[in-house]
Amino acid sequence: MRKIMLVEDDQQILDMMDILLRKIGYEPVLVSDVRDALDLVKNNPPDLLLLDIMMTPVNGWEFLEKLRGEFGNRDLPVLLFTAAPEAEEKVALLHDPRIAILQKPASLPDLKAGLERFLI
Amino acid sequence: MGGRIFTVGRNTISETDLVRSIVILSFTICSILISAIAFSRSIPYINYQLFFIPIVYAAYFYPRKGIYVAAVCGVVYQAVGYYYSYPDSVAMLGVTAEALLFVIIAIVIAYFIEKIRSGEARYRTVFEHSQLGIVLFNREGFSVRQTNDKFAAMLNYSEQEILASVFTDLFFIDQEKERFLDRIDKHRETTDFETRLAAAGGAACWVNLSWSMIDDHTVSCTAININARKLAEKLNNDNMMKYRQLTEHSPTSILIVVNGVILYANPTFEEFSGYGAPEVIGKELVRFLDPRDLHTYSEFAQHWISRKPVASQGKFRFIRKDGGIRVAILFTNPIVHANKPATMINLMDVSEKLRLEEKIQLDNDRRRGIIITVAHELRTPLQPILGYLDMLITDPDGFGITDDTKKILERCLVSVDRERQIINQMLELSVLESGKLQLSRAAFPLERLVHDVIDTSGYLTKADISVTIPGDIMLSADRDRIYNVFDSLLSNAINYSKPPRNVEVFYRMGSTDEFHHISIRDNGIGIPPESIENIFEPFQLADAAKLSRKYDRIGLSLSNAKKVIQLHGGDITVESVVNGGSTFTLHLPKVVKSDA
Repeated sequence: MRKIMLVEDDQQILDMMDILLRKIGYEPVLVSDVRDALDLVKNNPPDLLLLDIMMTPVNGWEFLEKLRGEFGNRDLPVLLFTAAPEAEEKVALLHDPRIAILQKPASLPDLKAGLERFLI
Repeated sequence: MGGRIFTVGRNTISETDLVRSIVILSFTICSILISAIAFSRSIPYINYQLFFIPIVYAAYFYPRKGIYVAAVCGVVYQAVGYYYSYPDSVAMLGVTAEALLFVIIAIVIAYFIEKIRSGEARYRTVFEHSQLGIVLFNREGFSVRQTNDKFAAMLNYSEQEILASVFTDLFFIDQEKERFLDRIDKHRETTDFETRLAAAGGAACWVNLSWSMIDDHTVSCTAININARKLAEKLNNDNMMKYRQLTEHSPTSILIVVNGVILYANPTFEEFSGYGAPEVIGKELVRFLDPRDLHTYSEFAQHWISRKPVASQGKFRFIRKDGGIRVAILFTNPIVHANKPATMINLMDVSEKLRLEEKIQLDNDRRRGIIITVAHELRTPLQPILGYLDMLITDPDGFGITDDTKKILERCLVSVDRERQIINQMLELSVLESGKLQLSRAAFPLERLVHDVIDTSGYLTKADISVTIPGDIMLSADRDRIYNVFDSLLSNAINYSKPPRNVEVFYRMGSTDEFHHISIRDNGIGIPPESIENIFEPFQLADAAKLSRKYDRIGLSLSNAKKVIQLHGGDITVESVVNGGSTFTLHLPKVVKSDA
């Protein structure tokens, strides 16, 4: 089963996504504190990262920079799971083909399409 | 000199010349006779020296003719001498030598006289033809001793009238006479003493006087007429006064600059810079500029130094005396200031304008920031609702959901979806209004796009749609945004009509070739004339209260569509008949402007 790590500080969304991801046949790894995420990526490597952006104390962009930068992980596909409108412009500037956006709120077909983009 | 004149043959002879000729002739004849007697009687005391009298006399007054006189005397003297001395060869040789001496003496005298005469003539020429007025007067009493016609002409008098006058009486005003007396008491020599002399008829004549004492009693004074220059100066001053009045009351700052140095600053500049005019005048303009703008300034200065009117493209920051910064746009004009080329610089203070613009920009940014935050906050809670609804609807059996409950859940899902769209439109509007939107243009076939919209949104299931667009029409535009425009317009056309719904999409050739005209016509309810102007405003609906409930939509799509088309350099227009349908027409420019 493909492992999806969801980094998200909204408990409601975490709970819902936990059920939804299982329903569509993935193994969710839920991370509510972004500071734990890097260790978990190392110790329990997922197949894809679903990453919220507006989080504290480290936001999604900063986490992504660390992940790709000093942490040295360049291959893990990342779906930025966000309601932030400016995300698209920023992603375009990264020129990283393994980063895409899943716009919140995402419907079930949106979610499936987003995951299948990297996991087929 | 001069006197009566006689005519002898072709020559005219003055009385003086006649008298002198007679004197010379008589002395010559006398000398010949006396020397003949002296030779015949062998009187040794009287000899050739007698001839010196007519020769010197003639040579002195008529240098050239004096030589002829000497020659004639020499020949006659020799003839007489030979006649009486023959055959004494020694005596004859002496006679010849004496005759030659006459000629030599005449030549020497003539040479020196000529030389003196030419010097005199030169002096006379200088004096009489001088452009300068010359007047010689006594140091005591100032009576005029000599003058030239130039000086007399300057004052419109004759030379005789000037000669009969006292120099100090010629001054136009007493103060200037006092100033002259004071100066001549203190200095033996003076140059460039400018004053006015009284001309005939009461007029004043501006002169520049220079004088020096040529001996203890005589002052030689030259005068240059400077009326024209004084007149020009006065005109210039009058102009300067007018100029000054204009600039002193100008609402813009005005500087007059020569070689980068400020020669004049008006009160508005004092206010602008915080410096008083005396602190500014004589200083270089760059000293008041923000050092960050020096480079642009020197570039700009290159232009106005070439003496053409120029306006600055950019803005210049000036540092005020109090340390504050003011911003101005500069306009320059070449002018003449105090007879020299100068540059007039107008400074248009744009500080306040910039401050307001910045504030508006800041407000806009803040507003956009709020919209983005709000959109984020509105979207996030929708995620669990949407997720759970999807879960329940896709697996009703797994969750033990009846068909009726499923229908209810599906309606909830539609509402969540609509809410999502509203937020997206709101965001799109804030992007469109921010002015920061970059269109990503590409060429694509129009007909294909319209069919894509219809197919993707499944409009054919809701209405009868005919599309009449030539297949070769290509648009160069932001495809995604044009897609949304057609989606909004088609969605409106369908939503605002009752079955049987007929929608036509057609391409029209305009009267000019500059635009594509694409119309979407429906057979819907139409728009009342009083609402037609407002339908493109955000959240404006024709008859909003009724329609929004009846057709379940909000009014952002049309305003967004219009903004998108306007960003492309085009527009959307609408014609409508209540209960007769509406036609929305897109006008898109065929040629894309580079800055659009």
